[in-house]
Amino acid sequence: MTSPDRRIVITGMGIVSPLGIGLKPVWQRLIAGRSGIVRLPEALVPDIEAKVGGLVPDKKDDPHGFDFDAVPMRDRKQMDRFILFAMEAAAEALAQAGWQPATERERERTATVIASGIGGLPGIVEAAYTVKERGARRLSPFTVPSFLINLAAGQVSIRHGFKGPIGAPVTACAASVQAIGDAMRLIRAGEADIALCGGAEACIDRVGLASFAAARALSTGFGDTPEAASRPFDARRDGFVMGEGAGMLVIESLAHAKARGATPLAEVTGYGTSADAYHVTSGPEDGSGARRATLAALAMAGLRPEQIGYLNAHATSTPVGDAGELAAIRSVFGEGTSSPAISSTKSATGHLLGAAGAVEAIFSALALGEGVLPPTLNLTSPDAAASGLDLIGPATRRTSVEHVLSNGFGFGGVNACVILSRWQG
Amino acid sequence: MRRVAVTGMGLVTPLGRGVKTNWERLIGGQSGIRTIERFDVSDLPCKIAGQIQFGDGSDGTLNLDDVVDSKERKKMDDFIIYALAAADEAIADSGWKPADDEDAEMTGVLIGSGIGGLPGIDDGSITIATKGPRRLSPFFIPSTLINLASGHVSIRYGFKGPNHAVVTACSTGAHAIGDAARMIALGDADVMVAGGTEGAVCRMGIAGFAAARALSTAYNETPTEASRPYDQGRDGFVMGEGAGIVVLEDLEHAKKRGAKIYAEVVGYGLSGDAYHITAPSEDGNGGFRSMRMALKRAGLNPEEIDYINAHGTSTPKGDEIEAGAVMRLFGAASNTVSMSSTKSSIGHLLGAAGAVEAIYSILSINHDIVPPTLNLRNPSESVQGLDLVPLEAKEKKVRAALSNSFGFGGTNASLVVKEFN
Repeated sequence: MTSPDRRIVITGMGIVSPLGIGLKPVWQRLIAGRSGIVRLPEALVPDIEAKVGGLVPDKKDDPHGFDFDAVPMRDRKQMDRFILFAMEAAAEALAQAGWQPATERERERTATVIASGIGGLPGIVEAAYTVKERGARRLSPFTVPSFLINLAAGQVSIRHGFKGPIGAPVTACAASVQAIGDAMRLIRAGEADIALCGGAEACIDRVGLASFAAARALSTGFGDTPEAASRPFDARRDGFVMGEGAGMLVIESLAHAKARGATPLAEVTGYGTSADAYHVTSGPEDGSGARRATLAALAMAGLRPEQIGYLNAHATSTPVGDAGELAAIRSVFGEGTSSPAISSTKSATGHLLGAAGAVEAIFSALALGEGVLPPTLNLTSPDAAASGLDLIGPATRRTSVEHVLSNGFGFGGVNACVILSRWQG
Repeated sequence: MRRVAVTGMGLVTPLGRGVKTNWERLIGGQSGIRTIERFDVSDLPCKIAGQIQFGDGSDGTLNLDDVVDSKERKKMDDFIIYALAAADEAIADSGWKPADDEDAEMTGVLIGSGIGGLPGIDDGSITIATKGPRRLSPFFIPSTLINLASGHVSIRYGFKGPNHAVVTACSTGAHAIGDAARMIALGDADVMVAGGTEGAVCRMGIAGFAAARALSTAYNETPTEASRPYDQGRDGFVMGEGAGIVVLEDLEHAKKRGAKIYAEVVGYGLSGDAYHITAPSEDGNGGFRSMRMALKRAGLNPEEIDYINAHGTSTPKGDEIEAGAVMRLFGAASNTVSMSSTKSSIGHLLGAAGAVEAIYSILSINHDIVPPTLNLRNPSESVQGLDLVPLEAKEKKVRAALSNSFGFGGTNASLVVKEFN
């Protein structure tokens, strides 16, 4: 057994998502089969083919929405939307963990690692228009710090007084899986005792939508039925649906958690990462890069493939991406009874890009703790490539599992996997 | 934990392309800061920057065709092209070529950028506003995404190990090298191509930092005098662009294949100020702790550090706060250590600065010469007593060097590199 200062446990989690904010309501909606995908306001997309998105609901319309009106003017000026989401999810995770450092030593031993794939795109775009239309001198002094990606970690560290290492991975759609992995390494290397880690993303604006649409990555065929647009592994899928939000986890060494009497929610047992070295926007069909990341994570966890009970797939609902991932899963896990139960929660939230990995790791941890595996909405005609694999369809499944794997893959050919294990006292 | 060697280096900076050109010009006291001619600066308060000189490859210019052919260049913003150019040099210099799948899978890439594809995002935004979203290039996203610098290097060379990218504003390059060294130390990879890149010298970039009142504005007529860390006449930093990339390697791996070893990365410290989004804490505590942690991990005492490559951006507040933290940490050794800011020559390369400056620090060890702080004619009172290497390079035995990088958001990183015996 690994020594307690090498074992890493999750003691707090927080979430802002298209299904709402707060762990409890979001989880209940997820396992109830609710979708967070909506038709986007027409003013945003009159000339853009992608008409749907996973927007974080406003508290005005939803009791579990984000209270945009309550954000102080000062924060609004200094923080782009992704930072606001990071702050909210961080506050929830830290409250659940009961972590508020009291001494200088504790502050210096707390790391903050918050990823984003894109960062403050809306802020940059607005600045570009300001410079063009009104002149360079009309830019706010907060323009740069409002859009810099590492300012999510910076602002959270300032708000909570965390003086340990700061990090901000930006590996596209794998970024927040890598945030968890980086935070693990910091703790294992002795550079911190506890870390707030995760990801935040908010770039559903005209430029964000138009640019992914130009790359032909977005779903365009379900404008009138938004809830049906994100359909990973389904034969009718036609691209991903952009989502926004944030997921944050408090992780710490088991020794640190025990010493302060914190309750572990799950153990982070494995992490693996690799590169495809293949193509800028697509992975190899055989999923060999994803396979290597999965094997590295299993090796770190000291687990055999058949011990993984649930797999939260990256599965973005693009035909090519889903196929590569299925090939990787098949090559690692085999078929039939050795296949873990697999679902893609992007079917309900859309693709949160740099926040996806953290949000999905949180869903995976909740699945472990609750013995409930979330569904893949809209999966009515599974892709033939998935035959023999145990895909969870539109119905939630109640099954107790011991170990779960969560995947995150990104543009640039980056793959990352994290394994969580049920906490057993 | 395994020991980490530096076995390859590559540079593209306002002083030129290539490590050799850079070093000769740096210790020759040359400046790479010039008037901006690439875009309209008539309404910008700052009209100068440290810019890459393009050309046919002679005289230290960067020949873009040597890096990527013109068709492929349309799919990459400047920061990716600079990263590829510096990586090409570093990888060739290291002589590392994976022989089989296993080698490739143990070779990773970790290149950061503070800002990434700002010029591309700026152009794309205007395209959408003026011509409509359907006119946007399908390559907009991959050309501007920060991790595509790492992505392109891994694709070009077939490196299949950890592929990562970090952003910590102006400490990015140092964090990238430190994080990559940690991956090797922990056994996640045997070889890592690591560093930082930046290409944000565009109207938006200058306008944004000018709005934050961070840039020098008083030396538009005399650009080479604008970056003057520690000098009483300093009034802000000068933006620069470029990339610095190193090849890091498990020491035993490097020895086994007979690689030349430039230095060893022995210390890495990092910390957060938890104070203010753009200003360093007045007492310099964050920088103090990152330097202390780096020295502790290196197992070195302050008197064993012969050279400090300072963050020293030439802003009124930051320079003195850093110098104060150095004097507190170094105590009596403050009288013997030499500290200079090479930003006086090249400007502030933001996310590339930490990597470029780590390379300059290694070169100071290799050559036993410390580079100068240009334009330092009247040091501020509070820094007097420190050897800031004013105006001219100086010969001096350098056994180990410390390189500091601090960034917006209150993030700090320090690296210690040491001669290899």
